[in-house]
Amino acid sequence: MSGERALDKLKDILLKVQKPARYVGGEYNLPDMEKFCEERVCLCFSDKYEVGMSNVGTRILYHMLNDTEGVVCERAYAPDLDMAALLKENGLPLFSLETKKDIKEFDLIGFSVQFELQFTNIVYMLDLIGVPYFAKDRGEDIPPIVAGGPCVVNPMPFADFFDAVLIGEGEKNLDELVKLHRECRKNNLTKSEFLKKACELDGVFVPSLNNPTKRAVVEDLDKAYYPTKILVPNCDIVHDRSSIELFRGCANGCRFCQAGFYYRPIRKGSVDTLVRQACELMDSTGYDEMGLLSLSTSDYPELKELVDRIKVEADARKVKLALPSLRLDSFEAEIYEEMQGASLTFAPEAGTQRLRDVINKNISDENIKSSLISALKYGVKNVKLYFIMGLPTETEEDLQGIVNIVKLVKYLHSQYGTSKLLNITVSTSIFIPKPLTPFQWERQISIEEMRAKQEFMREKLRIKNVKYSWHGAQSSVIEAVFARGDRSLAKAIVKAYELGCVFDSWSENFDYDKWIKAFEESSIDYQKFLEGFAEDDELPWDVIDNGVSKKYLLAERKKAYEGISTPNCIGKCNGCGANRLQRCGL
Amino acid sequence: MIILKHLKVDDVSYVSHKDILRVLQRGLKRAKIDVKYSQGFVPHMLTYTTTPVPLGVQSCAEYFAIDCLDSDKDDVMRRYNAAMPQGMRATACFYKDKNPNLAGIVVASDYIATCAEVLPKEIEKIKDLDSYVITARKKGGVVEKDVAALIFDLKVDGNKLYMRLASGNDNLRADAFIEDINKKFSCDIKINDIVRTAQLVKVDGELIDAEEFLK
Repeated sequence: MSGERALDKLKDILLKVQKPARYVGGEYNLPDMEKFCEERVCLCFSDKYEVGMSNVGTRILYHMLNDTEGVVCERAYAPDLDMAALLKENGLPLFSLETKKDIKEFDLIGFSVQFELQFTNIVYMLDLIGVPYFAKDRGEDIPPIVAGGPCVVNPMPFADFFDAVLIGEGEKNLDELVKLHRECRKNNLTKSEFLKKACELDGVFVPSLNNPTKRAVVEDLDKAYYPTKILVPNCDIVHDRSSIELFRGCANGCRFCQAGFYYRPIRKGSVDTLVRQACELMDSTGYDEMGLLSLSTSDYPELKELVDRIKVEADARKVKLALPSLRLDSFEAEIYEEMQGASLTFAPEAGTQRLRDVINKNISDENIKSSLISALKYGVKNVKLYFIMGLPTETEEDLQGIVNIVKLVKYLHSQYGTSKLLNITVSTSIFIPKPLTPFQWERQISIEEMRAKQEFMREKLRIKNVKYSWHGAQSSVIEAVFARGDRSLAKAIVKAYELGCVFDSWSENFDYDKWIKAFEESSIDYQKFLEGFAEDDELPWDVIDNGVSKKYLLAERKKAYEGISTPNCIGKCNGCGANRLQRCGL
Repeated sequence: MIILKHLKVDDVSYVSHKDILRVLQRGLKRAKIDVKYSQGFVPHMLTYTTTPVPLGVQSCAEYFAIDCLDSDKDDVMRRYNAAMPQGMRATACFYKDKNPNLAGIVVASDYIATCAEVLPKEIEKIKDLDSYVITARKKGGVVEKDVAALIFDLKVDGNKLYMRLASGNDNLRADAFIEDINKKFSCDIKINDIVRTAQLVKVDGELIDAEEFLK
């Protein structure tokens, strides 16, 4: 089909789908697509536009590539089901947003894989692009397809779909890979010759070669690329705001938290750089809100100075600041009052001090109490509490502890609260023993145990003005299987897609029975990935060196069972091993 | 009060009116136009638009009034254009002491619909009918509506259909009308090939282009 005819057909389709603005691009701050270009890259995001456009990582890489001489980067998102059906019906392939070009025609295709429940969307998008799912089945006529994103902690379940997987931070290795590919094309090298050279770069894992790979990280956040002229979407997206990254990594070492270990070493931006970025972003976007992002905002050493300086600029431009991820123990009422308004979100994660010591959530009952009192005095009307169920060593007493915290909030409100009414929302998720955490060897509780615990909470939390919500047990099982699985799972992903599984992270689309059928039909015993690993087992992701050493994780696991907590590493290094990758510290 | 006449063409024509309002307001912030805010509990920008074109229909005649402290209209237009996405550029700018309340006084819009094929001349006869019923999609189903009084003029010239339809408080959606024509006259005019070319206000019983009215 000629390009013009395809565009005409596309025009027809756009008015038959929901939210057509998602498929046309044309955002403000669009980079120059007409510039001299020797390498055309398409970044694909395996979820809908409104999710993908909210992702800071992809945003950085998109602008970084477009700011590289001789490189043009376009985008594609997973189209919604109505759009996908119409594309297929009209014989149209998935196209890029900027120039509406067939994605197969790009020189290099990149996928961002953010979440285990997006794995079927990779296959869905490959299907819409019109290429074989497995890298080994794709010939020289199809450009290399590479993946990156947080799920590369354990890339094994989806590795076989890709020619290469970028381990670590894209600012460090994506532009090098693009440069290399450009050179290889100039010299007429084949795809496999390119891949052999690629695995010599930092953090490039080539599944067909199974090369041991060390995670690539940027040295200095102050010098790392960060775009301040970003795309401003024309339609509503999930996080519709600009954001600056205060620091990468986390010093707290909560033993269940993959992000906390994965993003180490800890590197921070300086106050001057962050204020400059914030001002440039406010001016170039016109957004009403700016997020100050990190995994634990209140650990930023000069937070007060930073917020004070940015706030002056934000107030002048009528921009509201958002500070997510404030820790309960370092709750600063003054900042809270300015930023958050009438709602407060706390994540104690476990109901008792004992279990919080096990998971290394270093906050005490006393911290919780004092922080709540300050918040309630400021007139908080909504308190949201987040907990995890099914943690190692958890007992009924720990679940009862959650109920006790809720009762404590109610009591404190009656004593100190200045708002008339207080709504409490309690959310529980299911513990998933993720790779690169001290709990990576643990088992996941069975679906029956999950349901029993949820039922227990439902009964106990029938309290006036308390709302209880819980994360699905079944989706937690699938998430755990793919977080911990190996390369045998790729065929199950394809099978599940063929059975109709797609957009599994959207609860309305998730179908557990189809997943179980997919495992059965692919002869995969998925249960084995939910059982614990022995400490001397070879783990599916062992070929990837993510920074933090196995020795450290094992030592942390031992301390967990002894109920000994580890202090955060701001003042003193705990020797996790991440500083082998780069200098670490706040 | 600054009033901008702007485009809504190409990709932007697929952006809904609700989203367009946000795009406009963000543009004003980027352009550093000193917009006044309401004095309520949740202050919002004091901006005003006219009846939006349906999703997919393009326009060369959208109006956007801004209650602001700036009065140099040429400077405002320059800054606005530098701060807006492709497809929403302003083509004219006016300064008025008072809000002309265009939304309240616009009564008609001119459109041109272009078809790949030559269009039948019989379409023109619709304007002379006493009654002309179309079916239109409305939330929750399909409704029948007599729109004869809302069709002010129709002219076919080769593959182009020139339409003057009621707009504003009494409104005939150009997309609904074209869908009806496509059905009844077996044409294939694409919704995205309809362009609003002017909005008209009634002054002393006469329809005049809003742009002329604002000059």
